[in-house]
Amino acid sequence: MSYNQNLKDKYCDILNNLKSSGLFKQERLITGPQDAVINVEFPIGTPEMQVINMCANNYLGLSSHPDIIQAAHRGLDEWGYGMSSVRFICGTQSLHKELEKVVTEFLGTEDTILFSSCFDANGAIFEAILDEHDIMISDRLVHASIVDGMRLAKAQHDTYKHSDMAHLRKKLEQHKDYPRKLIITDGVFSMDGDVAKLDEIVALAEEFDAMVFVDDSHASGFMGKTGRGTHELCNVMGKIDIISTTFGKALGGASGGCISGRAELVEMLRQKGRPYLFSNTLASVITAATLEVFRILNKSTERRDKLEQNTIYWRKGLSELGFVLKEGDSPIVPVMLFNAKLAQEISYDLYQEGVYAIGFFFPVVAQGQARIRTQLSAAHSTAQLDKALLAFKKVGKKHGILGLSKEQLIEKYGL
Amino acid sequence: MEQKLIDFITEEFLSDDDDPITTQTKLISSGLIDSFSLVSLQTFIAKEFGKKIPAPKITAQSFDTVAQMMEIIDQF
Ligand SMILES: Cc1ncc(COP(=O)(O)O)c(C=O)c1O
Repeated sequence: MSYNQNLKDKYCDILNNLKSSGLFKQERLITGPQDAVINVEFPIGTPEMQVINMCANNYLGLSSHPDIIQAAHRGLDEWGYGMSSVRFICGTQSLHKELEKVVTEFLGTEDTILFSSCFDANGAIFEAILDEHDIMISDRLVHASIVDGMRLAKAQHDTYKHSDMAHLRKKLEQHKDYPRKLIITDGVFSMDGDVAKLDEIVALAEEFDAMVFVDDSHASGFMGKTGRGTHELCNVMGKIDIISTTFGKALGGASGGCISGRAELVEMLRQKGRPYLFSNTLASVITAATLEVFRILNKSTERRDKLEQNTIYWRKGLSELGFVLKEGDSPIVPVMLFNAKLAQEISYDLYQEGVYAIGFFFPVVAQGQARIRTQLSAAHSTAQLDKALLAFKKVGKKHGILGLSKEQLIEKYGL
Repeated sequence: MEQKLIDFITEEFLSDDDDPITTQTKLISSGLIDSFSLVSLQTFIAKEFGKKIPAPKITAQSFDTVAQMMEIIDQF
């Protein structure tokens, strides 16, 4: 059947439904490089605004760092633009092996395998190492790419309540007879910014002979004293069997990802990981620039230290203004508003005041949990944070929410 | 059956600060139960009532409330 009017109408209906239910996503046009301050057109076609960016995953401020840009230029000159091949045919340069080695050393694991994205890494792993006799037990708030990866696997699956260790124990008891069990969690959860209880998870894994998988996309490069990730923060270096992470956030922000962990599991991926076998190699220019990222991180902890200071400063500032925040130690700081419409309005007003921060509401987060998610960067200066705090103050005042508790907010605006 | 379902769902899916559910509470469409966690509900029904509900029957439209669940369980 060709794409006839009937089909066209059907798709238009679906799209219109998204619009009328407020779920239609509109892109904002950024008219320059990623940074602490960016120029934005929103809606597209309206006059450009210069805004402080509080919603990028540019945690370490490396996305447009001159050293990284230079390394990318050099990489392009020395290693060419494309490889036109998957890894195992003729797509592996010594550069790729070098990055795998550097990541392995940085994360304190046994081996590493690169992917074009962490989405691909998470799509590859479960199917490659488990079969229908095994079980995956995942936290209920894991990232969408993990959910898709689990769907692709033949293994059985079950879930536990978010970070609820008693519930995880119950599930492990219930499934103790499966030959291979894999506990699956994010390291830092991207919507709440909370950290998985990896020390307790590892203890349970040891008790029940389970393996542990952690997605550290929102942690690699800055969580823990030397920025190795949540396994460093939780004192379980060397005890996480599989770590997946992205180069698309703190680690330069272009793209690419990897799985790092037990040597045999990484080798299983080289042999059986479908997005590895059937998709092109990570671009050389990105590989070269990512190597430079790790050189910077290995030289000093300055950037993750600055990020930590910024996070403390920002949390303190918002609390003192009287906003309700989600507790946590990560540079993801959700400002809780509970009501979806209020979150949208505040996001809009902040934008008018020169602060770019996005509202999240159902179905991205649970119903009645609407929020503005702010994210810190080492690139933010104290002056920029002060300016952003001033905007939050002004907008908070306008809506009469400064100093209100959760209950008062809900009473005033509803859920 | 009603109470057993409500007890199981409360224990398995609700956190301490969630409101108690009734037979009419929307569970899937409201996001209280995510689609990936439906398996444990399916397993519970099979174990507890000896009914194997096929996956296509378990959707946000047809399996959203305890009342709807009981209707479908009765068909098998
Ligand atoms: C927790 C988590 N895992 C994986 C990904 C996907 O990473 P990538 O952009 O490299 O595909 C993301 C990005 O949104 C994420 O937040």
